[in-house]
Amino acid sequence: MASDEPQSQELSVAEKLDNEIATLRAQVESLKRDLKLQTATLITSDSTLELLKADSTKKSGIKKPNDSSRLQELLTRADEQNAHKQQCLYRTCASITTFKVRDPDPNAVDGGNVLGLRFEVMSKSRFLRPYYVMLNRPYPNSRFLRVHRHTVPQCIPLSGLAARHLPPPVAKDDDSDTPKRQDLSSFVRALRRELVRYHNRTAVIGDLRSMAGLESKKGKAKELEVPITDISAADAQAKQIRIEWSDGRSGRLVMDDNGDIVKMVVQGEDGQDRETMRQFLGGSLRVEDVVKQLESA
Amino acid sequence: MARLSLPTTARLSPSLRVDPANNTVIKTLNRLSRSSLLSLVLDWLDERNQYLCPPLLRRPEAPDEDDEDDFYPPAESLEELRGLYESMQARKGGRREVVDRILEGDWRYGLSLYQLAMADLQYLYDHPGSLKWTAYRIQQLKTPAHEDDAEGPERTDKESLTVPRFHPSTFLQNLQAEVLPDVKAHYNFDRPKDMPLLLLRIFIIDSPYNTDLAVSTRHRGRPGSNGSSKSPTTSFDASRTIYIAFPDASPHIYISKSATGGAASSAGAAGEAKSLRALIVEGIPKALSRPRERYTLKGTNLTTKNISTMLAVKGAGRTNAAGGGWSIYAGTGTSDLKTDSPLQTLLPTPPLSDASNTDTDKPDTDSRKRRRPTSDPTDVEDEKQAKQARLAAQARFGNSAKVDDGKGIERLDVLIEDPFPTDVANFSDEDESEVQDRAALLSRNSSKGRRSTLNLSTMLDNQENVDDNRAGRSGERDRKGWAPQVRVSFHGSHVFAGIRQLVEAGIIDGEKMPGWMTGEEGVTIGAVRNGRIKGFKGSGL
Repeated sequence: MASDEPQSQELSVAEKLDNEIATLRAQVESLKRDLKLQTATLITSDSTLELLKADSTKKSGIKKPNDSSRLQELLTRADEQNAHKQQCLYRTCASITTFKVRDPDPNAVDGGNVLGLRFEVMSKSRFLRPYYVMLNRPYPNSRFLRVHRHTVPQCIPLSGLAARHLPPPVAKDDDSDTPKRQDLSSFVRALRRELVRYHNRTAVIGDLRSMAGLESKKGKAKELEVPITDISAADAQAKQIRIEWSDGRSGRLVMDDNGDIVKMVVQGEDGQDRETMRQFLGGSLRVEDVVKQLESA
Repeated sequence: MARLSLPTTARLSPSLRVDPANNTVIKTLNRLSRSSLLSLVLDWLDERNQYLCPPLLRRPEAPDEDDEDDFYPPAESLEELRGLYESMQARKGGRREVVDRILEGDWRYGLSLYQLAMADLQYLYDHPGSLKWTAYRIQQLKTPAHEDDAEGPERTDKESLTVPRFHPSTFLQNLQAEVLPDVKAHYNFDRPKDMPLLLLRIFIIDSPYNTDLAVSTRHRGRPGSNGSSKSPTTSFDASRTIYIAFPDASPHIYISKSATGGAASSAGAAGEAKSLRALIVEGIPKALSRPRERYTLKGTNLTTKNISTMLAVKGAGRTNAAGGGWSIYAGTGTSDLKTDSPLQTLLPTPPLSDASNTDTDKPDTDSRKRRRPTSDPTDVEDEKQAKQARLAAQARFGNSAKVDDGKGIERLDVLIEDPFPTDVANFSDEDESEVQDRAALLSRNSSKGRRSTLNLSTMLDNQENVDDNRAGRSGERDRKGWAPQVRVSFHGSHVFAGIRQLVEAGIIDGEKMPGWMTGEEGVTIGAVRNGRIKGFKGSGL
C-alpha cells in the first residue's frame, strides 16, 4: 500500500505535466495562427503597402543592404498575398477556375502538362471543398483533351459528359462518323450544372428532414398527425426520396434533375394511400414547395 | 412445412432447417471464436428473430416428457435460455462447449439457413481478409435503335448520363429468375456497421425443391419420397457461397472469390463452383437491367482482399480517380476543407515546408539536429538527402499509401511491354532492377498459376482498348526493336506503403519512379506501355 501511493502520485504528476504541455502546445498553435492572420491582414492593407513603397523609394540608396533586403522580402510577401487574394476573389465569384499542374509521373504524356479545373460548390451557405478535374493531352499529333484525374463523386455522370463534350479524336481507319469536335466550355458548363443540381437536391432533402424534425435531437419537431420517422435519398443521384411514417406507411417521391416533382406514391397497409400523398404534397410542383408545405403544416 | 415437394423456381426460404449433423453446419460454427459465437446466439434469441431461428423449448403442456439421458434439457422460456448464454459469456471456457450446446441442445432439430448465413457473415466480419474481392463496373448498354442492331454485339453507351440505381428486392427477384430452376439459392442481405455498402450473401444448393428436401439428409432414405433417394445427398460446400457487395452511391459491384475454395474440395467440385459463380456473375447485369435500360459488367483489373481499399478506389467518394500524388486534391479532412476554401485569407503553405509541419514529430527531431552544430559535412549531406527523399515521397504519394491507413493491396502484377532501353544512361535501370530484386525477395511463394491471369487480362485489354490503338501506339513496339517481356509482381501486406517507404529511405529515386508504382492507376494487374499502365485506368472513366 505504502509503495503504491507515491507511484500513483508520480503518475498523476506526469499526467498533469503532459496535459499542461498539450494545452500549451495548443495555445502556441492558436497564437501562431493569429499571428499569421494578423500579418496577412496588415500586409495587404493599402496603408501598409504605401508605407513600404515609400520606404523603399526613400531609403533605397542610403540604408544598409541588410535592411533593404528585409524590405524587399516584405514587398514580395505583399505581392504574393495580393495574388492569393485575387485568386480567392475569382474563385468565390466565378465558381470555375483553371490552374496548371505538372504531372509528377516521369513518363507522363505531353511533358507532364496538366490543365486543372476547379469547381466551387456552395451548399448550406458554405463553400464545400472544391471538385477538381485534371485534363491532359494524351493523343499524339492532336490537341484533344482527355480527363486524366478527377475528384468528382460517382453520382455525377462524368464519363457520359466527357464522352459527349470531349470525344477522343477519330482514328484514320474508321471514317464513318462526322469529324468530332471537343468543346471544353460546354463540358465544363454541363459538369458544373450537374454538380450544383446534385448538391441542391441533397440540400432539399436535408431541408425536408429538418422540417420533419429529424435533424434536431429534441424538441422543435412539428406536431404532425402521424410523425415522419425517416426521410432520405433512395438513390445515388438523390433524385428519389424515401419517406417513412411511424404507422408503417412508406412513400417514394421522384423528382427530376431540377427538383420538379415527377411523381409520388405512398403505400399504406392496404394498397396505395392517395390521401396521405395529397396531404404531403399539398399541390406543390417543386420539392421546395413541399418543404414550405411541411413548415406550415 | 409443406407436405408436398414440387420442383419450383422460387428461392429457398430463410427458415428452412439444416440438419445439425451436416458437415457444413459444424464447420461454419467451428470457425467462429467463442465470444462471437455467443453474441451470435444472443442475436438468434432476440424477440424479432424468433420466426427465423426458434430454439427448442420445453412445451408447457407436456412437462413430463423429460428424458433422463438428455444432456441438454430444453429450457422453459426464451429468457431462461438468454440468461444461460449470458452466463456463458461471463465465464471462461472453450468454443466446443458452446457449439455442442447449439447443435445437440437448443437447435438439435436443425439450424435455419438464416442462422447459417448469420454465422457465415459473422466470420466475414471477424476476418475481413478472408475473401478476395474483384471490382466490376456497371455500364449501360446502348439500346438498339434498329432490329438488326439487336442481333449484333452489345455496345456500351458511353454517352449515357444515368447512374445505375439498385433496388435490393427487385434485384433479388430478377436474379432468381435468371438462375436455372434446378439450382436453389438462399439470399441474405446485410449491412456492415462500419462500411457504406450492402452485402448480399448467396448460398447455392443443387436441388429443384425449395422445401426441406433441398437441405435435409434425413428424408433421403425414406422410400418413395419423390424418387429423391436416387440422387446423391445434397452437397454443401463453402465454395458455393458467393458474396456480392453493393457500395452505396457507386456504379460498381464487388464480387467475392473464396480464397480457400479449391484447396479442400476436389478439382471437379472446384470447377463446378466456378461455373456456378459464372452463372451468378452472368445473371447480375441482367438482374440489374430493366426494360429499355440494359447494363453490363466490366472488369476493372482490381482484385484485393481489403474491402476498404475497394471503397477508396471504387467507392462513392472523391478518391476514385485521384490516387497517389493526386490524393492531395481529394482530401476530406476538416483541415483540408479550411485551407481549400476560397474564403481563406492565409497563404497556403506548401507541403513539407517548415511552416506546415510544426505539429508532426519527425521535423521536430530534425530541427533539433539542425540546431546542434554538426561539424561532420557527411551528416549534413545525409540529412539533406533524407529530407529530399521525404519530399519526393510526399510529392509522389501525397497523403496516400501510409502504412497505417488500412488501405493496402496484397499483390500488384505488372507486365512491362516497353522496348529494352538502348541508351542505358538515360534510363533509371539500376532502380528498376533494384525494385525487381526486392519484389523477388518479398514474394515468398511465387505461384505460377497466377501468371496466367495476368496474361489473360492483358489479352482482354488488347481486345478492349480500342482507345489505345486509336492513339496509334500499337505498332510502336515493333519499330523500336527488342522488347523482352518483363513481369514484375509485388507482394506484401500493403504494397504501395512499402514502395513509399523505399522512396523515403532513398532506395528508390522518387523523381524517376514510374507512376504506376504509386498506386494512382487504381489497378492490381496491368500492362505497362510507354511507362504507363495501358488503357487510361487512372481516370476512372
